[in-house]
Amino acid sequence: MKKRLYSILAILLVAGLLLGACTPKEPVAEPVVEQPVEQPVEKPVEEPAKTFKVGLVTDVGVVDDKNFNQATWEGVVAAQEELGFEAKYIETKDAKDYDANIQLFVDEGFDVIVTVGFALGEATINAAKANPGVAFIGVDQFQGEEVPGVAGLIFDEALSGVLAGVLAANLTESKTIAAVLGTDLVPPVVNYNRGYVGGAKWVDPEIDVISTYHPGGMDVAFTDPEWGASTAKQAIEQGADIVFAAAGNTGNGALIETAQHEGLFCIGVDTDQWLTVPEAHKCLISSATKDITLSVVELIKLAYEGKFPAGNYVGGSSLAPFHDFESMITDEIQEKLKEALEAYNAGKIELPDK
Amino acid sequence: MEELTPSQNNWLKKVWFSLRIPFLAIIFALLVGAIILLVSGANPLEAYWQLFKGAFGSLRNFQRVLEKSTPLIFAGLAVALGFKAGLFNIGAQGQLLLGALMAGFVGFSLKGLPPYIHIPLGLLTGLLTGALFAGIPGLLRAYSGAHEVISTIMLNYVAINLSDYFSEGPWKDRSPGNIVSRLPAIQPSAEIPNIGPVPVGFIVAVLTALLIWFVINRTTFGFEINSVGLNPHASKYAGMRTKLLIVAAMVVSGALAGVGGAVETMGVVGRFQPGFNTGLGFDGITVALLARNNPIAVILSSLFLGAMKGGANTMQFYANVPNEIIDIIQGTMLLFVTAEMVIRWIFKLRKQQGTEITVTSGWGQR
Repeated sequence: MKKRLYSILAILLVAGLLLGACTPKEPVAEPVVEQPVEQPVEKPVEEPAKTFKVGLVTDVGVVDDKNFNQATWEGVVAAQEELGFEAKYIETKDAKDYDANIQLFVDEGFDVIVTVGFALGEATINAAKANPGVAFIGVDQFQGEEVPGVAGLIFDEALSGVLAGVLAANLTESKTIAAVLGTDLVPPVVNYNRGYVGGAKWVDPEIDVISTYHPGGMDVAFTDPEWGASTAKQAIEQGADIVFAAAGNTGNGALIETAQHEGLFCIGVDTDQWLTVPEAHKCLISSATKDITLSVVELIKLAYEGKFPAGNYVGGSSLAPFHDFESMITDEIQEKLKEALEAYNAGKIELPDK
Repeated sequence: MEELTPSQNNWLKKVWFSLRIPFLAIIFALLVGAIILLVSGANPLEAYWQLFKGAFGSLRNFQRVLEKSTPLIFAGLAVALGFKAGLFNIGAQGQLLLGALMAGFVGFSLKGLPPYIHIPLGLLTGLLTGALFAGIPGLLRAYSGAHEVISTIMLNYVAINLSDYFSEGPWKDRSPGNIVSRLPAIQPSAEIPNIGPVPVGFIVAVLTALLIWFVINRTTFGFEINSVGLNPHASKYAGMRTKLLIVAAMVVSGALAGVGGAVETMGVVGRFQPGFNTGLGFDGITVALLARNNPIAVILSSLFLGAMKGGANTMQFYANVPNEIIDIIQGTMLLFVTAEMVIRWIFKLRKQQGTEITVTSGWGQR
């Protein structure tokens, strides 16, 4: 028995050594990144004496999910580079651990705790009520009522839509533009379209907008690229020369379909789709995006300066970079976009109900 | 199986014989985990220490361990009871899910009940839901020969889709601002309380395990279940109604899983929400195998798995280790438990007739 035990241990050890030899220099995965950024030596006077710590709790999943988790963490890192503080994240594995994961940061005296996703909303509010001194940033967490210490980062899809509509209205030659949309059961989708139509008509009331919502339910509305493609094609046959797709994967179908036609433009949604749908490079002039990263930086700065807001904090909406089409965006169009932003904020752009 | 009254010494020996394989499997799984931790550049001792602290470092952490163990006990009992009858109930996950869903419905929709009625009613609803849902594969197995492994796997998908439908459709939480699929929060009267750090659900789970131990080892029904599991043909020849027994075993198994789901909804989560019960039924298989289908041992193996789950986030936070390592340890453990041949070979253990408990009689043993 002893002999065999030794032989097994020997095998395990050798296996360990071999595996160890194969590993890259850097650890494969570093789940919890601790980056105590060195305080810049040049300006020690300006640095506050207090330590500042920012923690992030992901929704179930990983931090590099090319989505909300990642965009938010990038915001934390960007703020960290600017301000110099300790930042750390924890990946949630079990939805029942939301509270416990937040608590780990509370126990370690973190000043700002960022929680990502609507699902963490309740846990975030409970933690804020129990820990008054801590600033909580709830990404995508609409605040029904104001809770001190919680800023719910939400986005104004209508504004993104307006910018997309203004851009489209300035580029269209046929005076007909289209929107391919996920279900009207989802308020953000409806708001994108309201902004798009309103923005286009604000530029030129004569413009015809062909908006089509997916007729199916929640289960298929965002996962039906074939429908997206055929709907885009129909609109193009009716004369539309610009297609705005706000429908997840369904919308990606519309983008790719539009790219098949010469000389047409398409506009993506939520994130810079230039990076996510390379098949649409031929037509993708921009995307109507939510500035998660930038807004997270803003909120962390506010907390850093002791001016942390409570309640809903409407994050920035903007158009993604124009990439290959930069040259087409004249100063005139840039000016018009700025003007639209001001007009929208002043309530001067009329939005349709749907 | 329990004809002889063994002396104290024999009893201890017996305990060691039933515990040695799981025990060695745990040790080996932790060793394998340690090697993987080393390879990925972490300090295994530090990681395990943080894991331990995360599980038992404070009263609050300990309470989480109990909370995480509770559904595992129920699911583990469900699977273990199935194994006893020669049935592999992979559907514990689906039964648990529907039990959790229905308890969530009863929990939020009935208003104005006192807790001493609302809580038992919710538990009973979970129990009946699980029992009925497991009755389907039971009947199919008994009367048409459809193998329960196949039918329960398929019914798991039915359960997932049913619960998604109700969470997004008719029973969706319509409170302002809510955008996710979930049921409304249960009424305070349906919340299962804690006694100090100990969740009442955990106490119910332990009592249930004792009850199941009694049923299996001290009642006619338990004896018949065992017989059917060991040899259905002989049992039939001996005059037992084997078909009925198979259905009954599935129904009881499903009832256990269903109560587990109900306790989870009413004691931990506070509402039904898809994604909050993921994998519990499947962990029940690990628990049952580790416990060698002994209901008392199910409590211990659930506590062990619960401690690993409860400590995982602390380990991730302080030792900078991905918490997937827990899955690796759990998987390795399962591998060693099921592949007990390997352990036997390593330690040259001889098979002791009569002291071993048949684990997987559902597959190819008859």
